[in-house]
Amino acid sequence: MSEFEKLKIVTKYELLKQFRRKRFYGALALIVLAMVLTIGLYKGLDIPGRMNRLDSPELFATFVSSISTLATICAVFFAGDAIASEFERKTGYILFPNPVKRTTLVVGKYIACAAATVILLIIAYLILAGALLGFYQQVPSGILGSMAIALMLACSVISMTFVFSSVLKGGMGATIAPLLTYLVIFSIISGALSAAGYDPWFMPNRAGNAVTATYGITLGQAFGGGHMGGSMSSSNPDPTLSFFVLLGYTVIFLPISIWLAKRREMI
Amino acid sequence: MKDIIVIDGLSKYYNGFLALDNLSLKVRENEDVALLGPNGAGKSTTLKLLCGLLYPSSGSMYINGVDVVEERERAISEVGTMLETPEFYPFFTPDETLSYLGRLRGMHGRELERRIKEVIKLVGLEKWGKVRIEKFSRGMKQRLALAQALLHDPQILILDEPSLGLDPRGMVEFREIIKKAKKKKTILFASHLLTEAAQICNKVAIIDHGKLCFYDDMSRLKKKYRSLERAYLKLTEREI
Repeated sequence: MSEFEKLKIVTKYELLKQFRRKRFYGALALIVLAMVLTIGLYKGLDIPGRMNRLDSPELFATFVSSISTLATICAVFFAGDAIASEFERKTGYILFPNPVKRTTLVVGKYIACAAATVILLIIAYLILAGALLGFYQQVPSGILGSMAIALMLACSVISMTFVFSSVLKGGMGATIAPLLTYLVIFSIISGALSAAGYDPWFMPNRAGNAVTATYGITLGQAFGGGHMGGSMSSSNPDPTLSFFVLLGYTVIFLPISIWLAKRREMI
Repeated sequence: MKDIIVIDGLSKYYNGFLALDNLSLKVRENEDVALLGPNGAGKSTTLKLLCGLLYPSSGSMYINGVDVVEERERAISEVGTMLETPEFYPFFTPDETLSYLGRLRGMHGRELERRIKEVIKLVGLEKWGKVRIEKFSRGMKQRLALAQALLHDPQILILDEPSLGLDPRGMVEFREIIKKAKKKKTILFASHLLTEAAQICNKVAIIDHGKLCFYDDMSRLKKKYRSLERAYLKLTEREI
C-alpha cells in the first residue's frame, strides 16, 4: 500500500475524530453566533449612519468579514492537541507502531484540521453571502479573495500550531502557546514596527488583516481606526502579498513540525 | 529456525541516564521469550526501541532481517504490539478503532470486517463493538489492545505487561488467548508476573540495570536455580 493510500486513511479517521469532538460543534456555534451578532449589530445600531458613512455592500462585507479571523482562531483548538495528545494521552502507543511514516500521520492530521476549519469558514462566508444578498441583493466579488486569504490564514495558523504541538508535552499548552503567540506577541511586534514607521507586511497577523482588504476599504479607513498600531497598520495590507506571506508561513512551519514530530520519542 | 529478532549491542541513554547497556539478544522463529526484570531494568525500553518508538543511542536491531532504525515501517509490518497501559481515541468505538488500524496495515473490505469480528469475539468484547471507548474500563481497554495486536495476524507479538489491569478472570482468559495465538508466532513478552511468564514462554531473558543477566530455556533455568523465582531474585541481586 502506498503512503498516499495511508494518508487518505489517516485523514479520514482524523477528520472523523474532529467531527466526534464537542469542540468542533462549539466552534461552529461560536462562529454562527458571532456572524449573526455582527450582522445584527451592524444593521440594528446603524453603524454606518452613526459613523457618517454611506452604507454599501463592500462596507458591510468588510465589517462582517473581520469575524472570519475567529474561525482561524478555532483552527488552533483543532490543531493544538493533534500531535501532543498522542504523547500526552499515550494513544501513540497504539498508532505509532504501525507501518506508516510519521510524516504521513502529521500530514493527515494537518489536512483533517484544515478541512474542519475550512468547513467553519465556508459556513461563515455563506452566512455573509446570504446576508449580502438579503440586504443589498448583490455579493461583492471581493468576498472570494477574502475567503482565500482566510483559508490561507487558517493553514498558516495550523502550521504554526503544529510546531508547538510537536514540541510541547501537553495539548493544553500546545493550544494556549500559539494563541498567545498569534494574538499577543505578533500584535506587539506588528504594533511596534508600525509605530516605528515600518509596514509589518511580513507578520502573519498583519497579513491576516487582508481578509477585509479585498473589498477596497479597511475597517480603519471605514470607521476611523480600530486596528492597533500607527498609521501603517490602519492602511490596507496588500491582499496578494498577504496571501503569499501566509502561504510562506504554511510552507515553512509544516515541514518544521513534521521534522520535530519525527524526532520525538515515545518515552 | 531463523533469527526473527536480532538485537546487537543496543544502548539507550535518557538525558545521560543509561537505561539499556549494550544489550544483545536473538529470538528465533516461534520462540516465546519472557523478558523479566525489576522496575527500571530496561524491559519497556527494549520493546519500545524494537517498535521504533525510541531511537537507540548505539547498537542495532533487526526484525526479519530488516533494520528497525533504517526501515522502521517495513520492519514492524509483521509485528503486533501492546505497550504500556494502552489508551485509545475515546470518540471511536472498538469497531472503528480496529478498522482504522487494520486499514493502516493494508487490510480492507470483508476480510477486515471478518477479522474485526473474530478478534473482538476472541477478547470478549462482542457486546461493546459499537460503544465509544470513553465508556470503557481499564481492563476493557486492555482487551481491545490485545485485539488490535492480533488483528493482522502478525508473525511476531511484542507485549509489555499485557495483563496489567485485568481482573483474575481476564488474566486467565488472556493467557488462554495468548497460548492459542502463540502456536505460529514469535512472542517477546515483558512482565512482572513470573508465573504468567512461566506459563506462556519457553525461554526467559532476565535484565537488570539495562544489562542482560541470563538468557536461556525456561527448563534449563529452573534446573539451574530450582525455580524461576529463585533465579529471578538471584540474578537481580536479591538473595532469599
